Amino acid sequence: MSKKPKKGTAKEKTKPRQKKTGPKAEGPRIGVFVCQCGSNIASIIDVGALTKYAQTLPNVVHAENLSYPCSRQGQEDIVAAIKNNKLDRVVVAGCSPRLYEPTFQSCVSRAELNPWLFEMANIREFTSYCNQTAPEEANEKAKDTVRMAVAKARLLEPLKPIELPITKKVMVIGGGIAGINAALDLADMGFKVYMVEKSETIGGVMALLDKTFPTLDCSICIEGPKMVDVGRHPNIEIISYADVLKVEGYVGNFNVKIRKNPRYVTAANCTGCGECRDACPIEYPNYADMYLGARKAISIPFGQAVPLTHTINRDYCIECYKCVDACGAREAINFDQKPEEIDVNVGAIVVTVGYSMYDPKDLTWTGYGKFSNVFTAMEFERLILAAGPTGGKVIRASDAQKPHSVAFMQCVGSRDINKYEYCSGFCCMYTLKHSVMLKEKYRDAIDVYVFYNDMRSNFKGYEEFFNRAQKSGVKFIRVKLENRKITEDPQTKNLTVCAETEDGKPVSVHAEMVVLANAAIQAPGTAELAKILNIPLDKDGFFIECQPKIRPTDTEVSGIFLAGACQGLKDIPYSVAQGSAAAAQAASVLGKNTWTVEPLVARVNEDLCSGCRVCESACGYHAIKVEKAGDKAVAKVTEGLCRGCGICSSACPMDAVTMPNYSDCQIVAQIQAVMKKGSRKT
Amino acid sequence: MPFQTLKRDTAKELCLEWVMQVKNYKLNLDKNRCVGCQICNLACPKEAISIEKQPKTFGEKTRKAKVDVDIAKCNFCGICDISCPYGAISVTVDGKHLLSVLDKESFPQLIRDVKADASKFPVDPDKSENVCPLNLIKAQYSTPEGKLVEDPRSLSRSELNALRMKVEVDKEHCPCCGICEAKLPQGAMHVRRMFSGKLAIKRENCPEGCTDCLDVCPITGALYLSDSDKKVHENEMFCVYCGACKIVCPVDNALDFKRTRIHHTTVRSGAWNKALERLTSPTDMTKELKAKRSLRARESVKKRMGLKEEQHV
Repeated sequence: MSKKPKKGTAKEKTKPRQKKTGPKAEGPRIGVFVCQCGSNIASIIDVGALTKYAQTLPNVVHAENLSYPCSRQGQEDIVAAIKNNKLDRVVVAGCSPRLYEPTFQSCVSRAELNPWLFEMANIREFTSYCNQTAPEEANEKAKDTVRMAVAKARLLEPLKPIELPITKKVMVIGGGIAGINAALDLADMGFKVYMVEKSETIGGVMALLDKTFPTLDCSICIEGPKMVDVGRHPNIEIISYADVLKVEGYVGNFNVKIRKNPRYVTAANCTGCGECRDACPIEYPNYADMYLGARKAISIPFGQAVPLTHTINRDYCIECYKCVDACGAREAINFDQKPEEIDVNVGAIVVTVGYSMYDPKDLTWTGYGKFSNVFTAMEFERLILAAGPTGGKVIRASDAQKPHSVAFMQCVGSRDINKYEYCSGFCCMYTLKHSVMLKEKYRDAIDVYVFYNDMRSNFKGYEEFFNRAQKSGVKFIRVKLENRKITEDPQTKNLTVCAETEDGKPVSVHAEMVVLANAAIQAPGTAELAKILNIPLDKDGFFIECQPKIRPTDTEVSGIFLAGACQGLKDIPYSVAQGSAAAAQAASVLGKNTWTVEPLVARVNEDLCSGCRVCESACGYHAIKVEKAGDKAVAKVTEGLCRGCGICSSACPMDAVTMPNYSDCQIVAQIQAVMKKGSRKT
Repeated sequence: MPFQTLKRDTAKELCLEWVMQVKNYKLNLDKNRCVGCQICNLACPKEAISIEKQPKTFGEKTRKAKVDVDIAKCNFCGICDISCPYGAISVTVDGKHLLSVLDKESFPQLIRDVKADASKFPVDPDKSENVCPLNLIKAQYSTPEGKLVEDPRSLSRSELNALRMKVEVDKEHCPCCGICEAKLPQGAMHVRRMFSGKLAIKRENCPEGCTDCLDVCPITGALYLSDSDKKVHENEMFCVYCGACKIVCPVDNALDFKRTRIHHTTVRSGAWNKALERLTSPTDMTKELKAKRSLRARESVKKRMGLKEEQHV
């Protein structure tokens, strides 16, 4: 039906085609469709000449050029041409197969042709784009490319897609705010969710914060109910105090090995009453309080912990068993607990392991660790928190007095090419939050200074919050990031902050307390997890997403998704949004009954295979393994894991492994086609 | 301010510290009082305390072993403080000497049963104060009018006899050797041992001329050099069973030493059982547990039968 607009070109083609069909009626019937791609291709390549050239190639029974074959009209033209000319092979000469191969495959299948009888010749990225200054050569190259594609197409074989079953369960690694949202979304959709958390409680960094910017909502008051929802949700199983040891399998069928570390408390029996904690005589520094305060050797890190199971820290416990007496008939305490390894089968994994904070002790100019009244932002967060170790009193470490002046120092470690080149993203905003809280709490009784270089307040409501800080009387001092120094008066323990303004003038301020906005960095254990999951990390130690703009939550491994700060530093609303985005992505896998894999995976000829295991060591994806089959050991391919890279095929000394549609004879045919040079001189 | 662990080791003291903004834990080892015995090393539940024999210099007395505390293992529980017979270790929380392990009955208080009766003390200061090998007895003299006498030695015999005496014993640092009880008039001092045990020197195994154990023993009289065989002999009457001698003894089989019982308040604690096992022996620990068990059984029988103490008798 769509033949009309193409009549002119069709006429030209019919003649040579009829010429060719006669003698070559026996062989495959190949159709070549040359794309103009607007002017992207046609401005360099003489599309008409290329079409005519294609008609001269053996087995080509039909060739035409189309302005946009990928458009709806273009696809209909291809379908019609296949039907009218009884084509059984299709070559599209156009752009990269990475972009449009799936489109054309579905197009040819609509014409009842097997989608793997389709071949793409890239004359855009490979020729018109990169040879703009040499159009003549580009045209020759385009002919070579088409000739190769036709040579391969001649030998293409029909394949059947591989269908893999899908386990309708999902694992969320990391129980911070991003993970909590991903887990709740997925559980509400009806999928079973395993939430694996490294520490004793879920909640992540957000659970340790006092307020959130720019609304100054209490952090735990808005996260706490969500944590409880996770704990209570019938579809969510929290596996806390656990490490991911190994991930095997592929999308739809991951097998995750997890080590549950011993809490020495049976979770099922622990009611969280805290009587054991009261009986315990031993204390140790509490990480949840940034070590400003202590916790008991049997305790929970903070009151809102989920699960509310106590944990014994055996590094400090003296084994007096007072907790056992206190627990009594509940019998929750078990000193014989051992690490337990469990295997969990899931269809998809969402990674939300978050971030941690850089310890600025090695930046000597800050005096952190040396001067007692220099704090990091997280320490300040625990100081100002009402449930914190000081009961919400902002006091100095040297004399436990309220400071009359506080200086905030931005970009400590971040935006520093010697430390962390990137911007940590949320420090400007939390410093504004801290300064506004101080100023609104103590009014004129406190002077607040912010030493900053650039104020990054670029999201909804943030700039307004910056204005609020300025109006509340916080003094902002714009300084260079170089030549900053903090010094201490050894008598009074007061501090002097020295810096240089943008125009090089020295500026110094006396402050009784200094708070550093230290860089946020990858969470501990991220590198190990990256290896386990086979997902690369970027130079800063954050997980690399599949495509930064349009696939920010996908990874290179299908079925594994990213959310939150482990992909790149982000604040709470964006972590929440990304958590839900990753949940939707995971649901798009879990919602299917089977996962379709391209059949371009390695095939083993068991008669030829000697079981030498060369392929096994060559494979980067653990997709090929030698297994016993009857009386003989032969290589077996796990189709879900195979990426079709072909390394095993080239490594095999027996030529037992072949790649469908990338077989030796197909590749040789292409090489021969390009070496023939056809009309090309030389 | 970040969490800090500090360690300072000087000739006088070893000081360990956990500095948190709102809490401060401190362990202080007074090297003058420390005799380099085994007790803290054995009592420590975290195996944080090590004892190192000091190299011997020819012609000099053997030096006591050096005690070191590993700050990475120490949890400032204070068990070493409680156990030290010489009171050389002090653990404080925020400057206060209040130990949670005692409070929560996770560890017993070792009982220093030392009582002084000033009325039976000789009025002569040379005879009263100097009997203690560790100088822990202080006597105060006042006139019948209540005036403090600074130097009683300058007074005449009759004036002396009229003086009133007050005796203070620094119990915290007392290992309960009982020398005072033996040397002072009967009834002036009452001392019950904190540790009981056995010490026997197998002199046939002693290296020729070795006095290492005697050199380090802090209790004058517990060990002595015999004029007859020029070897060290023991006087178990005064031994406090601290084990300082055992640490420095150069041979394995010369000192037959063990502790069998420790005088302490009753507690029910795994930490104590383990410490007791290490300080005495598994057998002695079992003995104590058995005694405790039978005591408990008696209590529970009494409770069940609703018997009162009088009825039972």
